[in-house]
Amino acid sequence: MARRGLLLALLLATSLAAQAEPLRVLSWGGAYERAQREALFSPFTVQTGIPVEVHRYDGDLGELRRSAARGEAPWDVIDMTRSQAMAACEAGLLAPLPADLAAPAPDGTPPREDFLPGAIGRCALTHTLFATVVAYRPEAFPGRRPTRIGDLFDQARFPGPRALQRTPAVNLEWALLAHDVPHQELYRLLSTPRGLDLALARLDSLAAIHWWQEGETPVRLLAAGEVVMASGYNGRFFDAMVNRGLDIEILWDGQVQEHETWAIPRHARRPEAARAFIRFATTTERLVVLAERIPYGPARRSAAARVGRHPERGVDMRLHIPTHPLNAEGAIEKDERWYARTLPRMQALFDAWRQRRQERDAATP
Amino acid sequence: MRAACGRVDGAGPATYTLGMETTTAPTGRGPVPVLRFLGLVLLGAAIGGVAALAAAGFVRAVLALNALLLISPRSRIMVADPVLLTLATVAVPTLGGLVVGLLHRRLPEGRPHTPADVIAAVQTRRGRLPAREGGVSALTALLSLGAGASVGQYGPLVHLGATLGSLGARLLRLGRSEDNITIACGVAAAISTAFNAPLAGIVFAHEVVLRHYALRAFAPTAAAALVGHVIATQVLAQGALFHVADTAVPRAWEFALFLGIGGLGALLAGAYMHAILAMGRLAGRLPLRPEWRPALAGALLGLTALWVPDILGIGQEALRFATIAGAFGGGELLLVLVLKVAATALCLGLGFSGGVFSPALVIGTLFGALCATLLASLTGGATETFVFYAVCGMVAVTAPVIGAPLTSLLIVFELTGNYALTTAALASVTLASPLAAQLFGRSLFDIQLHRRGLDLSAGRGRALLMERRAADLLSDDCVTLAPESPLQAAIAALARGHHGEAHLVDAAGRYHGCVTLAELEALHQAGGSHTAADGVDAGRPTLSPATTMWEAMTRLQEVSGEALAVVDDDRFLGVVYEARIARAYLEQSDTLRREEQGHG
Repeated sequence: MARRGLLLALLLATSLAAQAEPLRVLSWGGAYERAQREALFSPFTVQTGIPVEVHRYDGDLGELRRSAARGEAPWDVIDMTRSQAMAACEAGLLAPLPADLAAPAPDGTPPREDFLPGAIGRCALTHTLFATVVAYRPEAFPGRRPTRIGDLFDQARFPGPRALQRTPAVNLEWALLAHDVPHQELYRLLSTPRGLDLALARLDSLAAIHWWQEGETPVRLLAAGEVVMASGYNGRFFDAMVNRGLDIEILWDGQVQEHETWAIPRHARRPEAARAFIRFATTTERLVVLAERIPYGPARRSAAARVGRHPERGVDMRLHIPTHPLNAEGAIEKDERWYARTLPRMQALFDAWRQRRQERDAATP
Repeated sequence: MRAACGRVDGAGPATYTLGMETTTAPTGRGPVPVLRFLGLVLLGAAIGGVAALAAAGFVRAVLALNALLLISPRSRIMVADPVLLTLATVAVPTLGGLVVGLLHRRLPEGRPHTPADVIAAVQTRRGRLPAREGGVSALTALLSLGAGASVGQYGPLVHLGATLGSLGARLLRLGRSEDNITIACGVAAAISTAFNAPLAGIVFAHEVVLRHYALRAFAPTAAAALVGHVIATQVLAQGALFHVADTAVPRAWEFALFLGIGGLGALLAGAYMHAILAMGRLAGRLPLRPEWRPALAGALLGLTALWVPDILGIGQEALRFATIAGAFGGGELLLVLVLKVAATALCLGLGFSGGVFSPALVIGTLFGALCATLLASLTGGATETFVFYAVCGMVAVTAPVIGAPLTSLLIVFELTGNYALTTAALASVTLASPLAAQLFGRSLFDIQLHRRGLDLSAGRGRALLMERRAADLLSDDCVTLAPESPLQAAIAALARGHHGEAHLVDAAGRYHGCVTLAELEALHQAGGSHTAADGVDAGRPTLSPATTMWEAMTRLQEVSGEALAVVDDDRFLGVVYEARIARAYLEQSDTLRREEQGHG
């Protein structure tokens, strides 16, 4: 069964390779892109002869929307969060994926059982779960270390500036978690004006906030000592800790898990090659190779069980992936359905609050 | 002149033998009673399973309806269009009320059944909860809750569980005692599932429904609660009602405040209960047919919710926020509290179907939070123990309303696992429950039943006597005479019938009074031409068929005679012998003793 699939893929690949046009992949850059290159892009080119051209973005889908209006697409495959994929899918910006796109597990387990719940969507297929976590400089707090997400807001015990992402997502969740709200009720309470006020008030209580947009920025701010605590993607922090020896630690409590998916835009120039790539990139084998290079939790159970050590550093990667039981205890899954419907309004609310805060800070010297 | 007819319901020596037999019967040892008992436990578990699944389905259906009808905050925020949201906020409760009102027309009493009906059925050993009323009430409660009415969901769950339990007993053709136990099983399973708190389920069934403790009832109830718990963890997998992180332990003097919250909470509970009752009375005077009333309540609720959305529905979000310091301002707490009381009274009084517990949870927690906020503003103090005050307020209001102090404490304990919090709640409930019971009654259910003529305040024995009617004890073994009978003939008739009393009934069947043999004899001795009617004992009371046994017993205390006549609209129906009443009383005491003290 698996062998025949491989054969088909090879046949497909050779026929596709005849066209020398590259597959244009949109991804997030940085250490993440380096790992993807090693685990996915290069092996794909080796196997199929199709060169991969990597484009970078910061999650802004304006260009996708504009090009779709012109009836074209600047990319063939997009690495996007599931919430964005759901919104884009609803807006008709993405091409639906065939039901049998994903390959079965090496032992023949069908994809539906092997992938985590909610991983197989209409327009997008989850490949990994990443987490937004808080990292801190341990030297900034001699004698104590933060253990709960509430400590992010406790500047009395953990003094120093913070760096947070310039989005409502994650920040609102953490601000409400700091009030000891149970995970299951988080989004229900955030759905009320009272809950949003409470969350924004808690954020407002922070004395100094650096806002970041690029995934590398919080790492840089921590490294430069400009902040003592920063939110960021767990993979970036891992890269800084293990590959660059930066002295930071991760606070896993309150980690917000998100699905990272592959999707194909409507009007993609090479949809067949794009589908072949997604099937290749979501095999158990490739997901394991990826997770050993950057600590994102594979979306397949069969892959999570096989993750071993980092090929160069020798670090046990299971301890660094968000879905490991030790790390996942205080984890919350981002409610992407909620964000898919509310993000513009949340963003407006968030921006208005930041505006007020700035004006107030400007008024009081 | 008619003489006595055969003994229909004789009062004689046989009575006593029967009584003696039952009292001396061995209390079930041996294989058969043990097997019967184990069968009852298994039945309890089975009923627990059915009731728990029904409860889980009910809770899920309410959530689904709330999401679909834009009642739950989550579904509301998903809607970007403010006009649609405004329309839905007003239209959904109104239309929901309309449907509920029309469905209630199908019920004989025109009102939904509640836990009060369960309590009445068990306390009077009537059992046999009607399936139709139970089904319609559950459906209308589901619609009421789904459409955002400010009512509770636990009452309907309790009634649904009880109805299923009673149905089980009826299907297996079991007796009244077993019917009572299966009702308790359904109740325990429903509470155990809904709160995911098995101990609270068992205690609630004993404290509120059974009101006695017998091992015979305990084991099946416990089995039912356990099955409910297992199903709740498997099927519902819902988060705790509230969550408390390791908080500071309250200081010693704060326990005095918790006690004080208990006292004030009892008064608030009384106000809440009386608001509901008063709204019910007011509704009766509205120039609006009963089936339109819930729609009116829904419209008023929806309009108010445009201003204060916290009052819509079960109010879980409001409950949660009330446990967080700073989520509400002091004025807001008071406003939401008052509006929630008013909204609940409006919805229940005007005929929505639902419980009183969930709104009481919200009201109590808001009240506790208000106390904590006031205290903080007075002392400028810390908010570390804020949640203690909120929980104390919650327990202080809910325990008196449902008449279940232990259950309320156990719910706190099982949901939080926090001992410090439970002891604080204990301080509140210590004062709240007895105080409210003294001032208002044991629970809202008891007050409602009292108004329907069932007084449970003197316990189950009296309730049972209140439940039996003179018509049930009627005998026609008596001497009846025409009022115009000559004395001589009357005395002869009495002698023939071996009776000391005769009842004067005319040809039209009208009752003219009672005469004793002694009185007739005295008249006869005095001489002159008298008829039987001249000897009537004017002070002798009569009973109507609807007179309760309790009343009959009180009246008998003033009478030294053998029987009282039962008269309906002047028409003579027969007599009730004093001995028959005594026998019925003994039988009842014996049944109760076996049910409440027996263990097999």
